[in-house]
Amino acid sequence: MGLDYSPSELMAVAGAREIRNGEVVAVGLGLPVVASFLAKLTHAPDMTILFELGVIDPEPRDSGVGLADPRVWYRARVLSSFVDILGAVLHKGRVDVGFLGGLETDMYGNLNTSLVGDPHGEFRHMVGSGGANDIASCAQRTIIIMRHEARKLRQTISFVTSPGFVTGGDSRRQAGLPGGPSRVITDKAIFGFDPESRKMTIVSIHPGNTVDDVVGTMGFAPLVPARVPFTDPPEASQLKMIRETIDPERMYMG
Amino acid sequence: MTKLVTLSEAVASIPSGSHVSLSGFAITRCNMAFAREVIRQQINHLTVSQCVGAMDADLLVGAGAVDRIIYGGGSLDRFGRLACVNRGIEDGSLQAEEYSSLSIAFRYLAGALGLPFIPIRSLRGSDLLRRLEERSPGDVAMIEDPFTHETWLALKPLLPDVAVVQVQVADAQGNAWIRGPRWDNTEQARASRRTIVLAEQIVEGEVIRQDPERTVIPGLLVSHVVELPFGAHPTSVYGVYDYDARAIEGYVKATREPQGIRAYLEEYVFGLKDHPAYLDKIGGQARLADLAADPVLGY
Repeated sequence: MGLDYSPSELMAVAGAREIRNGEVVAVGLGLPVVASFLAKLTHAPDMTILFELGVIDPEPRDSGVGLADPRVWYRARVLSSFVDILGAVLHKGRVDVGFLGGLETDMYGNLNTSLVGDPHGEFRHMVGSGGANDIASCAQRTIIIMRHEARKLRQTISFVTSPGFVTGGDSRRQAGLPGGPSRVITDKAIFGFDPESRKMTIVSIHPGNTVDDVVGTMGFAPLVPARVPFTDPPEASQLKMIRETIDPERMYMG
Repeated sequence: MTKLVTLSEAVASIPSGSHVSLSGFAITRCNMAFAREVIRQQINHLTVSQCVGAMDADLLVGAGAVDRIIYGGGSLDRFGRLACVNRGIEDGSLQAEEYSSLSIAFRYLAGALGLPFIPIRSLRGSDLLRRLEERSPGDVAMIEDPFTHETWLALKPLLPDVAVVQVQVADAQGNAWIRGPRWDNTEQARASRRTIVLAEQIVEGEVIRQDPERTVIPGLLVSHVVELPFGAHPTSVYGVYDYDARAIEGYVKATREPQGIRAYLEEYVFGLKDHPAYLDKIGGQARLADLAADPVLGY
């Protein structure tokens, strides 16, 4: 048995599973959009989806090119503003989950979306924060989705755009920040964070990988528990929802 | 009193060196016709600010009209990076003060309310703040909450000389409706010394009075009003027209290399007399009809 699914589909499903019904979720660009709508359309019908620019609870019919595309605002219950969403909902402390993608992260879940080195040693300026820093700073917990590559999971990132556990231990709380990253979901594994050191630790590895595959393709050594389970594969109903309803044009799942 | 003027007159009211707050967000409600006219009139040494860097800022930077950008990062969504802004940051020709979206919105909000500063939770523990402390020490400071004695980051208000806001509907006095999300536009207009309203459609004041709760920008903030259909092209205006993917892709291709912007500006800015000539150039009524939004979908 076993279903055919892509690594992106498993990442979206794993992300969706992290969301509990009734939670308020601030959603960033890309795969987080698929994961959030998947949760909403399956086990979490009462969750509230927020987009930073002023959108609450949209029901898109068509895939969009990003948060600035009116396709992703369709059938929203509220269309308002940054101050209303990132301010009166997020900064106020009403966001349970921040859902972010990133270009680079380190063992403390700090995210870089600002400066990325190229092979010639030059730095390229990228998208920067948008609402990502605000979400990472103010949400009760943050889920990060990114590709599993050594150049993305780095010992030291070039720039901390959005803080995770900063330098580990108590440093995030000392910076005055609540919450912090709870999960990092890649195409090979799911990670959490050690409650004391705040270092990234393996929670499960995706079917078809070994612990050595996972650790050997990272730029730092995560904590590895004595027993590492496999991530549950997607269910047929979840794959059908992604393929037929959420992303039929494969804008996100590529 | 009518504040209706031509785009050229409204743009001419902005001296070089001004701080201009732009209403665009990535690829929606960008001040594109406005930016093209600023470039035609060779207004320069501008400071531009917005919560999310957008195509209006990128075009102005590409044309060399901007010395300084105060923004929260940005992109053209899936179409690509803000190539001109990023290149300016990389080669040092553009002074960039980079925040998060909410911290820019809070700086506008403090400006709008006449507050001396505003505390915020964002930015702490990040290199965005570290860099601001190094390069813009007058705009960020750690303070003690006088009540709880906790430490907070305080931001200075943003007080632009002029906000330029592309809206769907306004009257001749500048009372303006924005349909769809408004991102930072409400606070931009209130924080700025004055606002220029660029409207897809001008209506009688009586239409505004019939539905005043839709008014996002009161006319008392507004110095000039311009009737400017398709003023955001090639970006979208919710409920009026969709973004023009072909035209945005053309811009992305043109700005990929440093010299590419020159040919783009020749073709779409300097080579055309005004906004109507631009609309003819991109395909005229036939193309614009293709982009018209479905009233139910909004795009």
